[in-house]
Amino acid sequence: MMLTTMRVAFRNISRQKKRSFLLVGAIAFGMLVITLLNALTGGVVENLRVNFSHALGGHVFIIGREFTSSGQVILKIAPDERLDQLLVEHDSVIESLTKRSRTLPTLIFGSKQTMQLMYGVDFLAEDKLLDSLVVTDGSLEHVLEYHDAIILPKPSGERLGVQPGETILVKLETLTGQQNVGEFRVAAFIEDQEQFGISAAYAHRTYLNSLLNLEADEYQVLNMFLTDLAVLEDLARDFRLGLRSPDELEEEFAEVEEEEMGLTVTVGNVPITPTPEPEEIRPWDGTRYEVMHINQIMEPVEQMVGVLNKVALVIFLILLVVTMVGITNTFRMIMIERTREIGTMRAFGMQKGQVRSIFLWEAAFLGILGSLAGVVLGGVIALILGSITFNADPSLQFFLNHGQITFTFAPASIVFNLCLVVFTSLLAAYRPATAAARLSPLEALSSHT
Amino acid sequence: MKKITLLLGTVLIALLVAAAASAQDFAEIEAILARIDARTRFDTDFSAVMTMVVEDPEQGTSKMVVRQFRRDDGDHFLLLIQEPITQKGQGYLLEGDNLWFYDPSSRKFAHTSLKETFQDSDARNADFAQWSYSTSYAVEGYGEGTLGSHAVYIIDLAAVDDTVPFPYVKMWVTQQGDLVLKVEEYSLNRRLMRSSLFPKYAKVGSAVIPVQLVFIDELVEGKRTQVALSEISTSEIPDYVFTKAYIERVNR
Repeated sequence: MMLTTMRVAFRNISRQKKRSFLLVGAIAFGMLVITLLNALTGGVVENLRVNFSHALGGHVFIIGREFTSSGQVILKIAPDERLDQLLVEHDSVIESLTKRSRTLPTLIFGSKQTMQLMYGVDFLAEDKLLDSLVVTDGSLEHVLEYHDAIILPKPSGERLGVQPGETILVKLETLTGQQNVGEFRVAAFIEDQEQFGISAAYAHRTYLNSLLNLEADEYQVLNMFLTDLAVLEDLARDFRLGLRSPDELEEEFAEVEEEEMGLTVTVGNVPITPTPEPEEIRPWDGTRYEVMHINQIMEPVEQMVGVLNKVALVIFLILLVVTMVGITNTFRMIMIERTREIGTMRAFGMQKGQVRSIFLWEAAFLGILGSLAGVVLGGVIALILGSITFNADPSLQFFLNHGQITFTFAPASIVFNLCLVVFTSLLAAYRPATAAARLSPLEALSSHT
Repeated sequence: MKKITLLLGTVLIALLVAAAASAQDFAEIEAILARIDARTRFDTDFSAVMTMVVEDPEQGTSKMVVRQFRRDDGDHFLLLIQEPITQKGQGYLLEGDNLWFYDPSSRKFAHTSLKETFQDSDARNADFAQWSYSTSYAVEGYGEGTLGSHAVYIIDLAAVDDTVPFPYVKMWVTQQGDLVLKVEEYSLNRRLMRSSLFPKYAKVGSAVIPVQLVFIDELVEGKRTQVALSEISTSEIPDYVFTKAYIERVNR
């Protein structure tokens, strides 16, 4: 019986092609907008995650801080058994890792100077780095031989007017802020490695360390790329807990106690807290680590995208309300047009519920067809837009995947939207359907419509 | 055996005498450094107008006029840029150990350091505060020589800790009057980075300060900064001048 009802409902839709087309079109438009917006924001988040990881050189970032005898806090990681042990334990999920020192020195050649981010790299340990660099001038052949070799981004080389083989001065500050100068031999120019306006020069870590006043085996940042991002937060937590020193734990405990013991004065149930004193840094021994991961960096972006998705949903709901009004009016018209037909069907023994079902099935079919059309159309538009390569501003490149817009379709979200459309369509058609079901067969047959 | 003992004893005594003599000499040089520091300290308030001419081979020559207010009691100074018009209102406020930079375009104060360079010049923020050679550096050695027509001590200094930007300093000080005529500043690996010349001094109240200063960047060919002080005054400066509120007010 249900099949018959469905068949009649489908026949009714195909009987009024123009009207059905308009209703399906309206629903499809709403579905197209929400699908494209959701897919676009999903793609942007994915691209930002990948591009940020690439630009920052990893998924997990570890920095170490030491408190010096002169009261300064410096960024430094010295060889540490705890860290080595953790790296061994998580070796299976670590795709690659880099231990680098970094600085933002002034490069000087004759009377010209420029500032340039510079990494101190262990080229033997980072064996894939040299292969990944695109050389525009000079050669990377002798980089391993010369302890003072420097690989420069092409724009910096051009700004200085230096040629490969020539020597430049690098003026920098040691970790504690003292001035230091080193001579570096330009090995090669490379294309800006990052497509996002972040470019870096590379030199031997041991030599750069000697200028930064670090030991040869020390470094400042440990970055890790993981094989599986699903383990990202667990791994970061393991490192955070594993690298926490006992005095850090004590301090945390003391802070909690202080908070608990603190008296709170309330005025009208509003707690009045005194203005906090400027935070005083307490000296500590050894290295204190900070473990960050890409998801923490992405958190504000994801929040922003969440707001965008909510805005898109509101727009979608508004479109649906407008469409619902259209569906209700259309079904009222349909009911009037088909009064005699309903009367005939009722006279032949069709029950009230079946009449209602025919109307509701029509609405459901319209909703399903409209939603599917919207999704398919969205897919086609995404395919076309996604194949265009945009030569955008470097900052915009962060949102793109190799210059192309990425659309990430979330099946759960599509199914949710589809259900929402079908539900609202049914809701819109319910009253006309009930009114049609309540028609008396006698009155319906005597109707002139 | 006795001869060897005698020889060793003689050598030991000679070494002790030399060390004592050296310590004595260093004490004399340290006293000179203390006098230099003391003489650049003002007992009264101090204000002046600094005209800075920065010669940069890439950027060309630029002029900057800065109004300086200084109160050494409590380590205060305020540097307010008056020219060029694009930087007018920018200020540096030293309050004890804290140095703040104010940018009127953002209306915000940012923490900076005495180690930093002043704007794009070759001068450092510390150059406008009271000198502290005697406390920041230890004497490594010294010699005698001449600079122009002046008989000078040439003193080698090494920083006592890492709180000063230049770990090594060589200075030329007149034997008569303890005037610093020239200072060379070196990097941690002892490369000459900056030369400072002080060709003209003036007595201001109880202090004797250079009123003409030349800073030469020894790494960038042709880069140098000349500073001349004028409108020098030791009149009392109201307390409110050394406050953040004052910098904000003059920018309204």
